[in-house]
Amino acid sequence: MKSISLYEEKNSVLNAIAPETKILYIAAALLLPALFGNKMVSLFFIICSVTLLAISKVLKKTLPLLGVSGFILLTVVIIQGLFRAGNVTPFLTLGKVIFYREGLMFALKIVINVINILLSFCVLILTTKPSDLIENLVRRGFSPRFGYVFISVFQIIPQMTDTMQTITDAQRSRGMETEGNLFVRIRAFIPLISPVVMSSLINTKERALALEVRGFSSKNKKTFINDEKKIWVDRYLQAGILILIAAGIIWRIAACLR
Amino acid sequence: MSEITVEQLKYRYPSSEHLALDGFTFHIKTGEFVGIIGRNGSGKSTLCQALAGLVPHFYKGAYGGKVLLDDLEVRNTEISRLCKKAGIVFQNPFNQITGSKLSVFEEIAFGLENLGIPKPEMQQRIEEAMELLGISRFRDRNPFELSGGQMQRMAIASVLAMKPDIMILDEPTSQLDPQGREEVYQAVSMLAEKGITIILAEHNMEKIAYYCDRVLLLHDGRQIDFDTPQKIFSREDLEQYGVEAPVFSRIGRALDKKDTATGCYPVTLEETTALFLGTGV
Repeated sequence: MKSISLYEEKNSVLNAIAPETKILYIAAALLLPALFGNKMVSLFFIICSVTLLAISKVLKKTLPLLGVSGFILLTVVIIQGLFRAGNVTPFLTLGKVIFYREGLMFALKIVINVINILLSFCVLILTTKPSDLIENLVRRGFSPRFGYVFISVFQIIPQMTDTMQTITDAQRSRGMETEGNLFVRIRAFIPLISPVVMSSLINTKERALALEVRGFSSKNKKTFINDEKKIWVDRYLQAGILILIAAGIIWRIAACLR
Repeated sequence: MSEITVEQLKYRYPSSEHLALDGFTFHIKTGEFVGIIGRNGSGKSTLCQALAGLVPHFYKGAYGGKVLLDDLEVRNTEISRLCKKAGIVFQNPFNQITGSKLSVFEEIAFGLENLGIPKPEMQQRIEEAMELLGISRFRDRNPFELSGGQMQRMAIASVLAMKPDIMILDEPTSQLDPQGREEVYQAVSMLAEKGITIILAEHNMEKIAYYCDRVLLLHDGRQIDFDTPQKIFSREDLEQYGVEAPVFSRIGRALDKKDTATGCYPVTLEETTALFLGTGV
């Protein structure tokens, strides 16, 4: 079955450590640059993320993600470089088109921020099994109901895709055109989507029944068949990151008071 | 020990005008194997769900009378407590997979995790359940990648691991191929041998006749009869309830051969052969 999760087991350090540690890393990577208000901190975290991803052998998988956002970022650079209010110093002239220094600097800041956010999330998403992440969060007091919703999505969406495929085949065998130009595809969409939605609703009811009779609403404290995902180093890493974040906040407050 | 007592049970679904269950009264003893038969829409599934507590807790709606599992009154007990007493397996094996677990082993653990069973006991119960249903070799497979029969056996194992005294099976084989069907029946007869009370709603009358101690005949949400398979399948008015007797009873009826001891037509191959050989036909 096709998986929609981006995770892949590579037996790396990042695969082994607790998901919470990686979440804290994201928090640090987003908070600290904001607290210090400095691009260098963002750059530091970008380098950090790239190193971590390279060690975990998943750097290549970030490329498609960067490609998609790269396109959007390019438009940001163009728009800001050309039209940002306060553009005065010409930086680059291509014929009649003038890019201004102020706009480009501003765009660069956005680009660095976006890449930092993207890569730090990659550190979590590309190296963590979704069910491990949710299970650890449920252990920390996250609602098991929401936990279930998040985990089951990873299996149920591919199931719905399969159902969609079956229904497409069925409708095609009855002579419906499903391929061709945009108009044909749009016209084919309604007879395809309504059985998918209906069958999903029925399936959902049946699944809800099956969950209920397996104690899903039980108020007992949950136990877990899998051991908690963590290694000895997690405790120190988490403490370290928390101290860093705390230090950043204190520094910021002190700077404001001065 | 688990006895089921149903008294004057009436139930109407929230959006419906007529009663889905109308005045059921019966008693099932511990370890009995009871079949529920009747045409589509006669209330088989609703009755199964009423025994498991899904009616009325899941659907709400109007409810009258009472259902007792030993001394637990279904109406006043949460499903999460009832499920330790009575487990239920549904028609569609596919929709019983939780979708939150990546292996058969974890899938069976789902209910036990919810009940808060300690890990060592969980492991032991899962091993036992997989062993009994013959699915130990699929333990690391993705639940969605099993065949229908394997999936349904996993669903039974998942419920069985919760150690209910009563197992309710609502047409467990109606969506399976002949091989899957046979696998599930073998599993069910194993459970029966272990002394678990089994309630089976089913359209296959030969199977009902073969396995069941008693059969509950439904029609239009009403209880028509509750008796041994021999008596039920010898009724003259079966056809008006949309039920076709097992082929053996029909042979008996066509040749007018009744068992002298019970005064009924035979219902299984064994009874038929004994009857015919015994009288030298």
